[in-house]
Amino acid sequence: MKKVVALLFIVALAVLLLYVVANMPPMGDPENPTATHVISRYLERAEEETHTENVVTGVILNYRGYDTMGEVTVIFCALAGVLAVLGRERRGVIHAFVDRSEVPSSVIVKTMVRFVVPFIILFSVYTILHGETSPGGGFQGGAIIGGSMIIFTTIFGLYESSRRIPLKVRASLEGAAVMGFFLVGALGLLGGGNFLTYAWPRVARSLQPSLVVWLTVLVEVGVGLGGAMVLISILFAMIREEEEIAPAP
Amino acid sequence: MGAWRHFPIFMITLPLLGAVLLPFLGYARERWVPYAALLPLGTSTLLGLLLMGRIPADGFLSYHLGGWEPPFGIEIRLDYVGLFLMLVVCGITFLALVYSRRYIGKEVSGGQRTAYYVLYLLLSGAMLGFVATGDIFNLFVFMEILALSSYALVAITGNRNPVRAAFKYILMGAPSSIMVLLAVGFLYSATGTLNMADLARRIAESGYTEVLIVSYILLVVGFGVKAALFPLHMWLPDAHSIAPSPISALLSGLLVEVCAFALVRITFSVFTLRSSDLVMGTADAVGVAAVAAVLYGGIMAILQKDLKMMIAYSTVSHVGYIFLGITAFTAEGLTGAMYHMLDHGLAKACLFLCAGNFIYLKGYRRIEDLKGAWSQMPWTCFAFALASLSVIGIPPTAGFISKWYLILGNVKGGKWLYAVVLLAGSILAAVYCLRVIYYMFFQAGKEGAWEESWRDAPPAMLAPVWTLSLATLFFGIFSSLLIPSLLKAAAYLL
Repeated sequence: MKKVVALLFIVALAVLLLYVVANMPPMGDPENPTATHVISRYLERAEEETHTENVVTGVILNYRGYDTMGEVTVIFCALAGVLAVLGRERRGVIHAFVDRSEVPSSVIVKTMVRFVVPFIILFSVYTILHGETSPGGGFQGGAIIGGSMIIFTTIFGLYESSRRIPLKVRASLEGAAVMGFFLVGALGLLGGGNFLTYAWPRVARSLQPSLVVWLTVLVEVGVGLGGAMVLISILFAMIREEEEIAPAP
Repeated sequence: MGAWRHFPIFMITLPLLGAVLLPFLGYARERWVPYAALLPLGTSTLLGLLLMGRIPADGFLSYHLGGWEPPFGIEIRLDYVGLFLMLVVCGITFLALVYSRRYIGKEVSGGQRTAYYVLYLLLSGAMLGFVATGDIFNLFVFMEILALSSYALVAITGNRNPVRAAFKYILMGAPSSIMVLLAVGFLYSATGTLNMADLARRIAESGYTEVLIVSYILLVVGFGVKAALFPLHMWLPDAHSIAPSPISALLSGLLVEVCAFALVRITFSVFTLRSSDLVMGTADAVGVAAVAAVLYGGIMAILQKDLKMMIAYSTVSHVGYIFLGITAFTAEGLTGAMYHMLDHGLAKACLFLCAGNFIYLKGYRRIEDLKGAWSQMPWTCFAFALASLSVIGIPPTAGFISKWYLILGNVKGGKWLYAVVLLAGSILAAVYCLRVIYYMFFQAGKEGAWEESWRDAPPAMLAPVWTLSLATLFFGIFSSLLIPSLLKAAAYLL
């Protein structure tokens, strides 16, 4: 009975959604409401107004920066939720990593990971810092750092990886994204604008482009570091410590 | 234009910033965390009170974030009704936070306490941002924060039952979030904008009626789940009764109402009534669901053996009240709904905190255990009784005022049947509340259930409880402070 009701509900929802899709404005039509209203200003004037060549970055960090501030708060909130239920990883009792997988990772894999991870992190720094000129930005760069640590942890275990990024570092950087946004927002107020104004009215016009770029980079770095640390902390919290404790000699 | 223009953004961001900074204090001095958490919420309350006189009942404060004029940037659009609800949120979150220190100190183990306060501040800040925003995608973002933090707060003790209740909550909550997100996407595809005021204009002239209809339905269902409207309420009784009591107070007293308010916004500010018959048609369905909610919630509350479960079902019933006020489409009905958000918030928070007192001191959860509670915990019992009167709607409590306007609004809107249902709901409320009061005051307790020594909850827990219960009395007697402005604001919204 329950299954039938659930199935009916899903079918009804699917029909409803397909009905919308069938009636939506045609994809890619230049006459679409999405192509004619706010987007035209973003495309035409984003570069001079937000001083970022990448329009997407201009929109998410500047025009709609408040939403992004909310989104990074969501990420922080996810971490707080995980830590509230699972607690922080307890590194003190971990002695060594025991590889219990059926096929233990070979020397080749270990060497490759050791070799590749620094380059991945270097690439993420590039992604973060180039966010305002090319595709990329804080979210992507942070995710890349997180991904590199996931690779490292699967091969070398929690002990090795949490030694490289100690709890102190992570704990103090987890809120970096939200704090970066709040800092830029509050500075905007001091500069005579509204919250999250990048181009401060009190600053001379000629200085504004470089000011906006610096503030954008600041936010990007905050988002990148904060996002990366949150991902890594969530990963560490989810690894169950029993698997990590070395057997008694 | 002075500095007060910036107050709303500070009311929203200070709790969020506080949430990010608290862990640092948590590592250094964990004992201070509960006090430090009060700071941002207290400041927000203060700023809200300072704003109170500045926003006219028939106008709004528009704040452009980043200086970008809407629809290009995000707008905070705070009208009188919004500010009113923000103040309710600030006040109740502040009081429940005061209460939390002792209660959480006992219920939640050491390492998790800081996480509790972090999530608490995130939830409060998200509710404030949710109410104030004038941008539909921003509404979704804040809904995500408040949903995520409330899932985690339900599960915070990490025991089996809370985690299960939280999981049930997520199973209902996550699809509802997706529905809202889809609806926002559909609306954007049909109009090309996300700003609510701009959406209202462009919806009126948009040709994509089918897309608009489905997005409205998705929004109603999506927010309906979060607001626990009758057939979508299944998560509520478990989550609200199993969560730690201050969190139950927040979820029951504020969260469902804030989500109901989002629907008010969507209905009156985005899909303006004039735009189509669509709103009216959906409103009929919502009205029927609300009637069912009032009766079902009331009857289920009578059947419960667990005190917090009973209060949770009472919330299901009262959500129905709020929706009946909204669907009346009269200024009186909307005023009643808004005032009900205030007095239901106060009374429900008070009831849950009283139930928390019993759990804190005695570990008693069942209603039967409360027989003769009066002899040992008179303060808690009297506060419970006073808040119950407001839930039932007996003058001079605030519950009477709101029910009066709800009934008046429905009668004026020609919905006599709904008015009768509202009265019936009050009778049901009287049955389930008076049963508890009867047990507390007029029945002898079991042998050994209450010791001879006279020991009520500590003052740090009684003070918030009594502030809440006296507030229901205050807003009942001095309803003229708010009602005229609310009537005007409601007429403006319509």
